[in-house]
Amino acid sequence: MKKLCFITAAVLAMGVLNAGIAVATPTAQEILAASDAVRNPDHPFSLTTTLTEYRNGKQTDLNTLAVYSKADTDSGQFRSLIRFIAPARDANKLMLKTGNDLWFYDPANNASIRISPQQRLLGQAANGDVVTFNLAKDYSATLEGEEDVTDGDRQKRHCYKLALAKIRPDVTYDHIEVWIDTSNNRPVKGRFYSESNHLLKTAYYRRYEKQLGAERPTETVIIDGLDPNWVTLLDFSDWVERDVPEAWLQRDYLPRFKPE
Amino acid sequence: MRAVFAVALLLVAGAVQAGDSDTAGDADAAALSLQGSAPQAAAQPRAWQLFVEGGTGYSEVRDDSLTNQTSSLQRLSGDLRIDATPLSGLRTVFSDRLDYADWPFELEPKREINTIKEAYFSLQPSNNFIFDAGRINEYSGVAIGYNPTDFFRGGAVRSFVSLDPISIKDNRQGSVMVRGQTLWNGGSLTALFSPKLSSQPNSGSFNPDWGATNNVNRGMLIFSKRITEDLNPQFLLYQEEGSSPQIGMNITKLVNNSTVAYVEWSGGRSDTLLTDALGQGSDKAFRNRLSTGLTYTTSNKLSLTFEYEYNGTGIDKGSWDALPAVSLPGYIRYQQYVTTEQEMPTRHAFMFYAKWQDVLINHLDLSALVRYSVADHSNLSWIESRYHWAHDEVALQWLNNSGTLFSEFGASPLRSALELSYRHYF
Repeated sequence: MKKLCFITAAVLAMGVLNAGIAVATPTAQEILAASDAVRNPDHPFSLTTTLTEYRNGKQTDLNTLAVYSKADTDSGQFRSLIRFIAPARDANKLMLKTGNDLWFYDPANNASIRISPQQRLLGQAANGDVVTFNLAKDYSATLEGEEDVTDGDRQKRHCYKLALAKIRPDVTYDHIEVWIDTSNNRPVKGRFYSESNHLLKTAYYRRYEKQLGAERPTETVIIDGLDPNWVTLLDFSDWVERDVPEAWLQRDYLPRFKPE
Repeated sequence: MRAVFAVALLLVAGAVQAGDSDTAGDADAAALSLQGSAPQAAAQPRAWQLFVEGGTGYSEVRDDSLTNQTSSLQRLSGDLRIDATPLSGLRTVFSDRLDYADWPFELEPKREINTIKEAYFSLQPSNNFIFDAGRINEYSGVAIGYNPTDFFRGGAVRSFVSLDPISIKDNRQGSVMVRGQTLWNGGSLTALFSPKLSSQPNSGSFNPDWGATNNVNRGMLIFSKRITEDLNPQFLLYQEEGSSPQIGMNITKLVNNSTVAYVEWSGGRSDTLLTDALGQGSDKAFRNRLSTGLTYTTSNKLSLTFEYEYNGTGIDKGSWDALPAVSLPGYIRYQQYVTTEQEMPTRHAFMFYAKWQDVLINHLDLSALVRYSVADHSNLSWIESRYHWAHDEVALQWLNNSGTLFSEFGASPLRSALELSYRHYF
């Protein structure tokens, strides 16, 4: 009887343990959301992005942007105001991004012009807001397995490999592959594809540092899909938690924007 | 045999794929060895922006005897903008452009022209309220060429020394005004008053030229409201002393991932421009102005804009064709008036604008613009090739006016011009 009780208790305990494991195992979508949270602070913030562009290993461009961002309470997506700081010819131009609603402002003529997502992609400076998008809000994730991959700092990482399919028709990338560190949900690498399955860009997230309360990647390496010799390095600095008032995030505020 | 061939094909395909993968791996490894910029190297925002630009070229100009003469063009320009915050909540803006132009007399009789573009201060006691006073370039509109809701463009351009037709939006003086704006989540309301300060423009080189922009009392209300993520229209109510109120609206819509469509309209009871120009009588009626178009961007960095423009205050084709014969002085006065007011003399026009970034080589941009008058088939064509470095730009521009002597663009004494210019940003 004692033995039976013990077996029953052991089976029950195993059941509880199993149930616990089942609860603890994250879904692909949860892994993706956790990875988004590593990249994105959970409160409004600003940071400086320096974009260094290389072609064939030679530096060809250097741009600096200030990004002011906050998550939309409804969609969860980030709304950003991007101020061009350098080069001098672009200084103080602004871009307002709320989903696919994009406005470009030029202080030379005080004109705010609506631009399309395709127009935004002109120029590498457009990559400046890649830090602020929540993939889990726009894509459905499937766990394809686990792999060892080389990360941006050229270390081996054991990663979940997720395949992301778009759930909104108006997103920039049709589908994405991401590799996320199984031990800490850090994004390691992503491949971004067009509808016709052309590789548009590869991104490596590296140089993790403690910023705004968490270890976050402070450098992203973006490799162009068509021309792998075209590489842009995005360095994020001056992370500051700050209020980004709703009033800032509209076309009629652009001529008035003066954060200092 | 077929099976052997298939296996061989698979092996070759596999080898090619493996090769591709290796190549990609090599490329990634090469990319990861690159160094980004240290955080301390990040540029800091600056309160001022300054560039100087020199241009040289030649022009074909029609003289008084109606023969074309070739003349040289020389130009030196400086453009300064200061946007500083000396105290928290207080913003000061000063923007000025100085041109020294050795252009044919028929085109620009003055040598030195200074344009005070903006000079104002701004108080922002909270995130939701802003008050401004001074000379402000109040620009409203979403169209690329003709802007019916840009009510403050009349008299704003002091000099036409740049060949770039779009540059008249940059090189213009604001109007003196007091302005207040309140903002809330997804909406904004602006009210402004621009007083009469002088009756006549003053073409003196360094004169602030209050009379060009402030020769009548004017007021305007601007209301904008985000309706959906994709729709954020702007509504305007404009009143000029002695005239009927004008209303305006502009709106944009994303057609697809690469196309933006826009509509800009204004209307109200007004005289025709010809009546205003000649200062005779009144022919008031409700008249509309409209600009609508779309901008399409290709995946290889080419943006194309097509725009249709309508001006109900312009004169119709019959009156336009007849005007020079009815009154040559009246025709000349009308052309001068519509140029100053930045208006279309006739009813219908089309505009095409193209910009192609990184053409053939990185940092080389190609731009082109065509304006076409439906009434007389005259047109203006402009093309520019511009190469830029971090602080410098070199540009080659060509402009051509085509049409009969009394047509909209054919009437310009400038038949064509070619200019090489160099710009340095400090």
